[in-house]
Amino acid sequence: MSDAIRFTLNGEETLYNGNPADRLLDVLRETYKLTGVKCGCKEGECGACSVLMDGELINSCMVALGRCEGSNIVTIEGFSKTEHFQVIDKAYAAVSAVQCGYCIPGMVLATEALLVKTPHPTEEEIRTGLSGNLCRCTGYNAIVKAVQIAAKEGDGLW
Amino acid sequence: MGQISGSVVKRDHSTKFSGAAIYVGDYMESDILTGKILHSQKAHAKLIEVKVPELPAGYYYVDRRDVPGDNNVNIVKDDMPVFARETVEYIGEAIGMVCGPDESMVEHILSAIEVVYEDLPVVTDVLKSDTAFFDYTITKGDIDKAFKEADKVYEEVFETGFQDQTYLETQGMMAEPQAEGRVFLHGSLQCPYYVLNAVTRALGLPREKVHIAQDATGGGFGGKEDYPSILGCQVGVAAVATGHKVRCIFGRREDLEFTPKKHPSHNTYKVAVKDGRVTAMDVDVIFNGGAYTTLSAVVLQRGIICANGVYDVPNLHIRGRAIKTNTVPSGAYRGFGGPQTFVSVEMVMDHIARDLGIRPLEFKLKHLVKKGDSTSTSGKYHFDVPIVEMVEELDRICDYRKKREMYAKPQTGRYRRGIGLSMCFHGAGFTGSGERDFIKAVVRLKKSADGMVTILISNTDMGQGLRTIMPKIVAKELDLPLTQIIYEYPDTDFVPDSGPTVASRSTMVVGELLCQAAKRLRAEWQDGEEQMIEEHYKHPEFLIPFSLDDFKGDAYPTYSWLVNVIELEIDTYTGRPQVLGAYGCFDVGTPIDYNIVVGQMEGGFLQSIGYASMEYMTADKTGRIRNNSFSDYIIPTAMDVPNLKVILHTVEYPEGPYGAKGAGELPAVGAPGAYMEAVEQALESVDLHHIPFTAEDVLKSLEEAEKK
Amino acid sequence: MVNGYMPLSLKEALELRAAHELVPYGGGTDLMIEGEKDVCYLFVNKIAEMKKIVDDGQYLRIGASCTFTEVLDSPLVPQLMKEAVSRIAAPAIRNAGTMAGNIGNGSAKADSVLIEYVAGAKLRLVSVRGERVVPIEAFYKGRKELDLAKDELIVEILLPRTGLENYFYQKVGARNALAISRLSFAGVLHLEDGVIRDIAVAFGAVANTVLRFRDIEHMLIGKTIAEAKKERAAFIAAYDAAINPTRGRVSAEYRKAVCLNLLRAFLDDKGI
Repeated sequence: MSDAIRFTLNGEETLYNGNPADRLLDVLRETYKLTGVKCGCKEGECGACSVLMDGELINSCMVALGRCEGSNIVTIEGFSKTEHFQVIDKAYAAVSAVQCGYCIPGMVLATEALLVKTPHPTEEEIRTGLSGNLCRCTGYNAIVKAVQIAAKEGDGLW
Repeated sequence: MGQISGSVVKRDHSTKFSGAAIYVGDYMESDILTGKILHSQKAHAKLIEVKVPELPAGYYYVDRRDVPGDNNVNIVKDDMPVFARETVEYIGEAIGMVCGPDESMVEHILSAIEVVYEDLPVVTDVLKSDTAFFDYTITKGDIDKAFKEADKVYEEVFETGFQDQTYLETQGMMAEPQAEGRVFLHGSLQCPYYVLNAVTRALGLPREKVHIAQDATGGGFGGKEDYPSILGCQVGVAAVATGHKVRCIFGRREDLEFTPKKHPSHNTYKVAVKDGRVTAMDVDVIFNGGAYTTLSAVVLQRGIICANGVYDVPNLHIRGRAIKTNTVPSGAYRGFGGPQTFVSVEMVMDHIARDLGIRPLEFKLKHLVKKGDSTSTSGKYHFDVPIVEMVEELDRICDYRKKREMYAKPQTGRYRRGIGLSMCFHGAGFTGSGERDFIKAVVRLKKSADGMVTILISNTDMGQGLRTIMPKIVAKELDLPLTQIIYEYPDTDFVPDSGPTVASRSTMVVGELLCQAAKRLRAEWQDGEEQMIEEHYKHPEFLIPFSLDDFKGDAYPTYSWLVNVIELEIDTYTGRPQVLGAYGCFDVGTPIDYNIVVGQMEGGFLQSIGYASMEYMTADKTGRIRNNSFSDYIIPTAMDVPNLKVILHTVEYPEGPYGAKGAGELPAVGAPGAYMEAVEQALESVDLHHIPFTAEDVLKSLEEAEKK
Repeated sequence: MVNGYMPLSLKEALELRAAHELVPYGGGTDLMIEGEKDVCYLFVNKIAEMKKIVDDGQYLRIGASCTFTEVLDSPLVPQLMKEAVSRIAAPAIRNAGTMAGNIGNGSAKADSVLIEYVAGAKLRLVSVRGERVVPIEAFYKGRKELDLAKDELIVEILLPRTGLENYFYQKVGARNALAISRLSFAGVLHLEDGVIRDIAVAFGAVANTVLRFRDIEHMLIGKTIAEAKKERAAFIAAYDAAINPTRGRVSAEYRKAVCLNLLRAFLDDKGI
């Protein structure tokens, strides 16, 4: 193993030379300037820093960089270039599900992770899928509705 | 609903959705110093000495000695220091700030600083404090006569706890020294001009040397009304002292523990009943103001004005006090004093109705105010009170009456159900004459030669949708596409003072001014010319003048109304409640954008349910708040109230744009009354007296019932 | 990697563990709350032997580095374990957090550990010196005190293949997701020809470790349901005497009351 940590970040091969104990959240924001990844608590309790790691939703505040060796990390910045993103974007826009926006990058990736696993989720499955992403603005209804619209409009994509 | 209510894609949707929106933490220049506050570890103590270790090059410590101007933050009473004076008055009070390029080094230095305190007595109980920051009285009618003639007098005490705003983006401000001795501050905030006033004073600079801008703001809910002024002064002082950009962003624990939250309250209701009717209320409202006054005066004013709820009570004596304790200063939270007294009056009305053997809803409707009636402050309800219709509309969607009867039958078994209903108002805009005497809002519309129109106001969008609402109003009046209207995050260098974004005033007051300005611009429109239109606030003429000296007159021009129903099931084995349905009918006048308004109602409603149920936070005897993380301060997730339904009822307000009135706060006012009535029914008509009512409280209540 | 190791085989992991001062890192969801920088992690999540879930005919062997999500996705894992694991935090934490991490954190609130207690699960602990199999109850010696040598790793959790079918489980948290257990309860009953062959009752988040009292359970073993019913009051009284909850986010009195309520609910549910 070389000294650097090697992983794929938003589709690009990346070498990180810092401390393996560094927090992925901090590294994404400070080293790679991916500021769409938000920090809400640094304790794994709010989901604002959610990213996809090998396709699964994780809290980037709860990951040490060393754990990322060989993995594929996608943040909102990378995900926003995908077709899935377009569908989710339109769905959230249609019901004005974005208020302060701070939980949104994490919420979008939670939506993606959910639809990948369950392309046609029930309302209960949606609420479970988003249950780690706190939102203080919306009461969640509009977000749940947006996911339902995305699942319908994106039928076949996931 | 007219055309204006049709929803559009929110103007800030795309930048926020793609993660491109810039919040204060997202500036990545390498020359920003990180500032971290040295918080007091004592609730009340004399500061003997602060032993700062030798600092590495490029690191700084600043405290009150570095404040070039007045070491008081301008809020209402200006008693809160920028950095602590000779004493500290609460745990978390800022003693100083460490700044430097590397965050972990800053933290290291902070942990190496030794503060020598000399303990002073700590007061955390409002009933044991001898300092009342504010003491107001409202009187109406003849209270003594009413109590003398009463058939029965009820007396009960209600208590409410802290509630934290828990915006997802914590508090954060950044200050930048600029050329010619200017200072630029920006960050997560609701009220740029409040920050400007505070910072100019603390820095001892004239107004033209300071400007304030808002960055994308991740929620406020009142929590960013006063605190950005405090944090702004602190980073401002640090930036001037060090000559560098300084940014301070709170960690979640810091934010939960040390920033203002909703005032806990202790409310005593003495109620006279004659011939089955409430004839008088003698109410003693006590709010825990915390260590400094901040916004307590205005929160308390609104709180006591709401103390008799939506009920016509001819004889009133309401005393309200904001008490000093050695806990974190309480401040603004969406609802602003109303939630505390509304839950109390709703509960006392329930209890009296049950004691009289009348259905609470029937009893409440019998007392309901109507158009033309006088308010608690002897002002007038000038417009229709739609509560009766709203109750019917809600009953149709949730079967309240039927369920109320059904759950009244004796329930056995592990799970027991209850349903409750509450009715409240929220007075739209500032209390009294604040709008006319202090705010004096000014708005401008600037048209450029190419026909683009820029909205120049100091109001902020922290998620509630102003950046969409205001352009919609202007676009409609100018008959222009929305894309031709520009409304950027405000910067005090460019926008006039159209007032703070608080008190559910922005759409109603500032939106109306913009509407007027747009009408004028349309009339005066000249193609190819640059034009500037300015409008000034005009106080509605129909108002009965309000006097704060005796609390007489119209406290509000109009009111928004709500009826809430909560249906729940209690697990008698664990005490855990599960909300089965939350139904809200809200009248905020004409919705300027249906989706946005419904989103506000849904979000506020859930916060209000959280307040009644799971959001437990308390200070211990030493003044420390231990519920300082997301695992200990519990706000609802997507799974907690899955069945939450909102409907709108519209009574247009003629002085608001297209009939719009105050919207933002209303939904956060009313759920606790309904929630507690439901809990009381599930627990077989026990009288309860505090919120939040936790699982543990349920078990205690069941135990007590068993003993009886 | 400087200051961090990601072995791909157990052998390599054990050698590293023996040779250096390392903190085993499974999912990181507990470790990263502190986010200690001056630490050297042994990342154990790429070790194939610790990622498998297999039925060896005697035990269901759950690899220590399996995430909660992997446990939920496995057709082999008993329903009771899945139910408990599905109530841990939220999807993102379940995608990262591991079975060994839940154990190794040493908390009596660990939702999967409660099930390991009622299952009578064993842990396979391995070091360069050899390996041993330790019952879960013996592994927990006290609050945050584990029977784990400095050079050992938890490699597998051995769950008995049967016995968890007839269960009663409840987690009490402050909300429906992202909730740390304020109390948790699991009871299992194994009946053969109307006779109680085995009963197990465990309480989580009430004391320094998960609580299971085998001596009390013995009161009902070998009895028919009808006979057990007669013992019900004494059985409950025995737990009442045995449980001394600690005070935490909720009071000791509340914990005690709910423990006994859920015990009664379990007995009701099973007709005892």
